[in-house]
Amino acid sequence: MIHGVLAVAMVALSAWAVATFPRSVLVFLLFQGSLLFTYLARIPAWLRGALFAVALLVLMPVIGYYNGYYLEVATQVGIFVALALGLNIVVGLAGLLDLGYVAFFAVGAYTWAIFGSPQANLIFGGGAFPLAPGWFYPFLLVGLLVAAGTGLLLGLPVLRLHGDYLAIVTLGFGEVIRVLANNLDKPINITNGPKGITPIVRPPMPFGLPTSEAFYFLVLVIVAVVIVVNRRLEDSHIGRAWEAIREDQLAAQAMGVPLVRAKLLAFACGASFAGVMGVVFSAKQVFINPESFTFLESIGVLAMVILGGMGSIPGAVIGATVVTVLNLQVLKGLSLWLNELKNAGVTVLGYSLTDLPTQLEPAKYERMIFGVILILMMIFRPQGIFPVRRRARELER
Amino acid sequence: MAALFEARSVTKRFGGLTALSSVDFALESGIASIIGPNGAGKTTLFNVFTGLYACDEGSVTFRQQSLVGLRPDEITTLGVCRTFQNIRLFANMTAIENVLVGMHARVTLGLWSVLAHTAGFHHTERRLQARAEALLERVGLRRHANDVARNLAYGSQRRLELARALASEPALLLLDEPTAGMTQGEAGALMRLLRDLVADLGLAIILIEHNMRVVMEVSDRVTVLDHGEKIAEGPPRDVQTNARVIEAYLGTRARERRPRAER
Amino acid sequence: MDYPLLVGIFPQVLLDGIILGFMYALIALGYTMVYGVLEFINFAHSEIFIVGAFVGVEILLSLKGAGLLETLPWPLVLVLILVAGMAGSAALAVSVERIAYRPLRAAPRLIPLISAIGVSFFLQDLIRLVESVWRNAFNLVYPTMDVLNERFELTSTLDVSVKSLVVIVAALLMLWALHAIVNRTKVGTAIRAVAEDQAAASLMGINVNRIISLTFLIGGAMGGAAGVLFGVQYGLINPYSGFIPGLKAFTAAVLGGIGNIPGAMVGGIVLGLLEAFAASYLSLLTGGAFGAEYKDIFAFSVLILILIFRPKGLLGEVVRERA
Repeated sequence: MIHGVLAVAMVALSAWAVATFPRSVLVFLLFQGSLLFTYLARIPAWLRGALFAVALLVLMPVIGYYNGYYLEVATQVGIFVALALGLNIVVGLAGLLDLGYVAFFAVGAYTWAIFGSPQANLIFGGGAFPLAPGWFYPFLLVGLLVAAGTGLLLGLPVLRLHGDYLAIVTLGFGEVIRVLANNLDKPINITNGPKGITPIVRPPMPFGLPTSEAFYFLVLVIVAVVIVVNRRLEDSHIGRAWEAIREDQLAAQAMGVPLVRAKLLAFACGASFAGVMGVVFSAKQVFINPESFTFLESIGVLAMVILGGMGSIPGAVIGATVVTVLNLQVLKGLSLWLNELKNAGVTVLGYSLTDLPTQLEPAKYERMIFGVILILMMIFRPQGIFPVRRRARELER
Repeated sequence: MAALFEARSVTKRFGGLTALSSVDFALESGIASIIGPNGAGKTTLFNVFTGLYACDEGSVTFRQQSLVGLRPDEITTLGVCRTFQNIRLFANMTAIENVLVGMHARVTLGLWSVLAHTAGFHHTERRLQARAEALLERVGLRRHANDVARNLAYGSQRRLELARALASEPALLLLDEPTAGMTQGEAGALMRLLRDLVADLGLAIILIEHNMRVVMEVSDRVTVLDHGEKIAEGPPRDVQTNARVIEAYLGTRARERRPRAER
Repeated sequence: MDYPLLVGIFPQVLLDGIILGFMYALIALGYTMVYGVLEFINFAHSEIFIVGAFVGVEILLSLKGAGLLETLPWPLVLVLILVAGMAGSAALAVSVERIAYRPLRAAPRLIPLISAIGVSFFLQDLIRLVESVWRNAFNLVYPTMDVLNERFELTSTLDVSVKSLVVIVAALLMLWALHAIVNRTKVGTAIRAVAEDQAAASLMGINVNRIISLTFLIGGAMGGAAGVLFGVQYGLINPYSGFIPGLKAFTAAVLGGIGNIPGAMVGGIVLGLLEAFAASYLSLLTGGAFGAEYKDIFAFSVLILILIFRPKGLLGEVVRERA
């Protein structure tokens, strides 16, 4: 009871605080904290659902009205949640360490970028492109299929490999995709090389929503679908086969699990989530180039999955949120703060901060953050913040 | 009539070492045991039977179909399933989930049914769940259905492995030292269970066993391997008195009595 | 097609390939030795390697700052930076093992690998942080010594710079020293014993932890030497420049059969040659459609093909998983 009251109060209070102090990073973090509390609090499922619905469907867009950047953060979080959930299937459930996951995201993004911009004219000639904005929606499916197909194509030869070899090969594959994107501006200009592709057509906005709100809701819907799909897979013979492979692949095979087919399915499912989000990403950004799809991004998504807890759906959601918010807000906030101190000429222990090198910006040290997350989690809590809770099956009496 | 399961002159070499040389084995029904000193090639034979190793020569057939060249999962789907000498459960999954994985070969649902939660999906899941519970009941683990496998006691883990193998609805079950680490009482109970399974389901079982009392009590037929060769075969009583077996066995008897390293 | 050109550049490409190959071989040793002992890919080895290059450049820059770079005899300077680079990398490798890998030794295989990836990323930015505070720079240029840039013209199409010779000689010395240590000393025997069977080795009275540290020390030292030579040969380094050579060297180790020390040397040289030829000839052979920028793809394709068709490498034996 007290939990319910607290949860409602926290959500309401923090939402009000964000509306009042739309510039404060801390207050927005408080809002996110209240959602976490709602998730953890011992309250009836309907209340939890209602609070989430209100917070995500009503409060968040309203907050976004006051400060558009927060809506951008929320949308980014959503994109990474979907990526983390996709990688979670591959790494968390099936136990296949994929270090080139962002390649599938890239494939999806380029699928729409090429056809949703004049770029395709360079390939096919004529002036039929860009496609009309309405094509964006069918292309969500096209992006899904192309990414899944790429997953199968990569998976077929390499899924027989043992764990750590597989990791390196997927890493190599991720690099190959990036190098291709970087260099396929000749002999035929497919990707426009390092210059990237722009302008990419955005979808028509339903109900006349403003662009950022529309993308926020679009991402929200996709994330919801992804979560449902993830749960259904996990609670089926397919998900159980994946987990069995992770636990002991030889025994799994001896129990009748066709290894290669099951692993391919995991690869394709994970890839398809990334493909869909890639399409959304390219439309949202209007511009993409190979720099968005580096190894750093793959490791970032891996850090999200591991931070949250391998194989755990809530874990992937929270891991993605924490890492994205850390990147977009906390570190940027720190950088700004440091800059202000510098400009104010503050001295610490006799050392004038003005003398700090300009290159010292916390926001640019993502690698260090990801690195520390990975090392510390592996040593102290390999099961993650929200480890998989084995759901008890109801036994018939 | 041809036997349910038949292996002819199976030979397996590892580099220069011949682990199995021209072993014949056939089983129509009931329980057959394979015994022999450590390193005689018993587990290697199982690995050949279940497709983990490809044999260098010879043939293995089950219901007149050749198993040579098939993958382990295909062999399981045909109706031959096994347990492992050094228990290989899915350690972080619950007991009932372990059994459910065992049913994988018998689930025909496609991806779409799973994603759309079709009526077929719910029906299948209910059926699987009921069967899994029945199997756990049968091996006496019903109470532990939701316990994580790695937390189960040693004997329970062995029985869970048996339930998991049974879940694939095999016609032939290969058990690699199922009573290892069990007390004489537990072993006896397990053997009664195996006898019942044979009687109720018409299951055929091949056992690798070191516990001689168990072997003599439960087997319809005993095959003795030594250094990769079959040195004797027949009803337990005959094998017990076979001069070659006594020689091969007694020579290594002292070693056998010590607790074995693989535990 | 311009055949005289194709033939004409051949010796130069061969030489470049050999130099690159020695570099890969030295780095690959670190991967392969650690894999041999722990069955674990030390993903952070690429940073251990580049730290050697940074130690070298720091010493050169301080010498230059003190005006000593021109007055000290150049072989002395070279030995100094080589030893210092090796010491730096070796110390780092041992500490990394102690802090980030040893606690995870009993864990499932993916766990230490993920930790190693974390270490790699952490070190990249740590180096960047240190360099940005210390020198306010991202890229660092190796100060040159005039002697090293002198070139000998061997034939009309092939000339060799002194530094290339230095790199080749130094690399050969390192490889020989390593070979001697592993095969002719007690320590080397202990390393091989631990690689063969840890439990048995410890029963024989070998301190397994010490031997593992030692393996990291030797592998790290080789990586550090490679780092210094890399800096001397190519001149420009930054905190992220270890990553790609590291990956290539790992490919070389797999190519030669991971865990196999002669294999790493062979694999390194083969990969170096393949890459040098791909870089020079791809563009010429495809009429400019695909250029040197595809050399990385080429290297990774080699890796994938090897893993599929000969997963234990050129010199490795095929081992099966036991049921």
